[in-house]
Amino acid sequence: MAGLTLDLIALQLFTGVALGAVYVLLAIGLSLIFGMLTVVNFAHGAFYMLGAYAGLFLMTQGVNFWVCLLLVPLLVGGIGLAVERVLIRPLYGRGIDYPLLLTFGLSYVIVELVRIGFGKTGYPVDTPELLQGAVDIGVGYFPLYRLFVIGATAVILFGLWLFLERTSFGLIIRAGARDPEIIRVLGVNVRRVWLVVFGLGTGIAALAGLLAAPLQGVIPEMGGPVLAEAFVVTVVGGMGSLLGAVLAGLLVGIVVSITSLFAPEMAKVSIFALMAVVLLVRPQGFFGRAGLMS
Amino acid sequence: MNQASQATLARARDANLDWRELATRYRVLLVSAFLLAFPLVMPFTALAINILIYGLYALGFNLLFGYLGLLSFGHAALLGAGAYFCGIAIVHFGMPWFAAIAIGVLGGVITAAAIGALATRTRGIYFAMVTLALSQCVYYLFYQAVDWTGGENGLRGINVREIGIFGISFDFINPMTRYYVVAGFVILALIVLSRILASPFGAVIEAVRENEERARASGYNVTLVRLITFILSGAFCGLAGALYALQLSTVPIEIMHYETSGLAVMMCLLGGMGTFFGPFVGAAVFLMLENLVSLWTVHWQLIVGAVFMICVLFFPRGIWGTLTMRGKS
Amino acid sequence: MSAGEIILRTDGVGKSFGKFTALKAVSAEFRRGAITAIIGPNGAGKSTYFNLLCGAFRPSTGRVEFEGRDVTGLPQHRFAHMGVAKSFQITNVFPQLSTHENIRVAAQARVARFDIWRPRARLTELGDEADAILERVGLWDRRERVAGALAHGEQRALEIGMALASRPRLLLLDEPTAGMSPEETRVMMELIVKLAEERTVILVEHKMKLVMGISDRLLVLHHGELLAEGTPDDIRRNETVKRVYLGQREH
Repeated sequence: MAGLTLDLIALQLFTGVALGAVYVLLAIGLSLIFGMLTVVNFAHGAFYMLGAYAGLFLMTQGVNFWVCLLLVPLLVGGIGLAVERVLIRPLYGRGIDYPLLLTFGLSYVIVELVRIGFGKTGYPVDTPELLQGAVDIGVGYFPLYRLFVIGATAVILFGLWLFLERTSFGLIIRAGARDPEIIRVLGVNVRRVWLVVFGLGTGIAALAGLLAAPLQGVIPEMGGPVLAEAFVVTVVGGMGSLLGAVLAGLLVGIVVSITSLFAPEMAKVSIFALMAVVLLVRPQGFFGRAGLMS
Repeated sequence: MNQASQATLARARDANLDWRELATRYRVLLVSAFLLAFPLVMPFTALAINILIYGLYALGFNLLFGYLGLLSFGHAALLGAGAYFCGIAIVHFGMPWFAAIAIGVLGGVITAAAIGALATRTRGIYFAMVTLALSQCVYYLFYQAVDWTGGENGLRGINVREIGIFGISFDFINPMTRYYVVAGFVILALIVLSRILASPFGAVIEAVRENEERARASGYNVTLVRLITFILSGAFCGLAGALYALQLSTVPIEIMHYETSGLAVMMCLLGGMGTFFGPFVGAAVFLMLENLVSLWTVHWQLIVGAVFMICVLFFPRGIWGTLTMRGKS
Repeated sequence: MSAGEIILRTDGVGKSFGKFTALKAVSAEFRRGAITAIIGPNGAGKSTYFNLLCGAFRPSTGRVEFEGRDVTGLPQHRFAHMGVAKSFQITNVFPQLSTHENIRVAAQARVARFDIWRPRARLTELGDEADAILERVGLWDRRERVAGALAHGEQRALEIGMALASRPRLLLLDEPTAGMSPEETRVMMELIVKLAEERTVILVEHKMKLVMGISDRLLVLHHGELLAEGTPDDIRRNETVKRVYLGQREH
């Protein structure tokens, strides 16, 4: 264990937070959609992958990375809107499993369409020039891009928080997540709220994919394992809880990176071990309401 | 009291038997007869064998999803464990084929018990997510255990050249022999499933699906019912996995993949969930579709995904379910 | 097991949901062979108390004793095994099973819960028992009908039939006449009186008038607390009850 200094662990903690940031974004989208629509979006990983590919495509067309940060979520979120409107809406009231099954089928279609458009092999994605290199963060040198991912996630979360807390639409969403009846009583068009929330959730997933692309490259299948990991985060944090998604996302990221420091081969399994422990001790997750599970 | 009226009632019911009820009554016999003739009408025996194996896999899944109402996205782990356990028994321990199949079933049961013990603590929508995540965990565990499973390269060398049944040796390389051996196990599985469904526990499974709260108030331990059903489902999937290993002579790591879990969901829904024949109909249609579509495009998953979505949107009862419901209501 | 002894006792049971306290430390005793009604205005904590008595909720404080045994926090299905059966406030049957099968499954819980091998058709005594119960609750001619297709009153009767199928010594009924027509209500009340000849009955009821005539004892809940208990006459004379409950009705 020589060379395993406190600095190294601290550095790995930062890596974990950067990894966790991506999980947070994914889980928050899942949780938002579930909290409002009670739909578990099995295509969430596919939208994440779509975000990464959309970024790659735009950048090869000469679009600046920073513009992509704005365009990609709008683009993929727009696709999300169409999906909710055309495919998911007919399934409301047909039982909780049907939207889930539909989005599962949809993920096959999206992945295959990307394979048709971009081929089966993956591509590396360049880190934007401005964000290349590393900076000294006191405990050692840390890749600038990862720092940026952490910062960007913080900004997105802050923006989301402002949206939910300070706008009337956000108020409707918060009220609706607690009790869908309230929205109806208030005379708000529930369907429109659901539409927007689905678009928002998929848009954030796409942004997560775009942010992750320079870290791990893109490949059509990249959404699969990520979906499982995002599920772990939502289960640990508590379904439908945004705060839970943030804390659990960071925790999962940290657990993975710390485990990979000590026992790299167990890094992937550690996530699920964490979930198992949470399920045994607190089946509804950190901030989940027990009632939501039935 | 009312003995006479009960008898009349029973007779009236018998008179009204239509083909659906007859099919239900003699379902095992019907399937057995069909399976014996099946390879004669199929262009490739290998496809026929695959339909049987995947049909059995979907049948195990259907017990949980169709009859109990629990949607699992982790059945790949059960199929995979069956295949790996069976393969390891042959490759590493040199066990005879029938013992290896038993070990495969055991593998499915153990994995189902482990996943089920955790997953049945959750309810509703969580169940699909948790089973998916746990099966992903099993995937990584088998992936890491390279010495036993061959890791990324898969487990190779499951070579069973001949098998002895009651002292007679059969050439297992002959596809027809393979087919009838697999068919024999499938018929066995169908008999077992039929008995489970007709047993008191079968009634409990339906009751829990219908109304979990009421079942609990009636004195059923719903969590335990779910766990036991999950384990039974694991036994069927483990058997399917073991047969898969024997048929393919290798176990690729992809068998544990998330998409294999999805396969069970698709086949079951396509055929008709909660119906006795549905899983096999679904497996047959799915695999034939895959074979057909891949003749003209490598992107068969696009078609499969689209067909599945259409099924969810417009034919939630699946093929068999839609056929048997027509004219009934 | 003589009539008059205490079959069920609660000792300071309370229930909170987060910050909201639905029930505060209620202590009461229920006598074997009697019909006891739990009454109170809306939001009094009747249903919460009911759910604590039948084991659907785990109490936040206090304990529940059945036949002298501490049963606090036991899982719901164990209550059924001990001889406590309940009917739900909102109709709760197995909607896609036949009326007969609904009762048969409920009866089966006593004898064959985890038998995966014997054909259940061979458990003929359960089928006969289900038929007898159907006769008893007046659903014989609905035997083959899918439970979900029954009329509201019939579904409530079916629910009572399912409760009876577990051969309970204590029968708990949560607003058994909710949503019923006057005629259906009358039939149900007669049935309850008949059932009480062989077993202890505790029922929650919103309509006080209904239970005054048939109950041996009444508990009055108000704001999550036990306001009064006694015979129907005691309750009728009780000034506090009049004020908070009867008075409310007259306005």
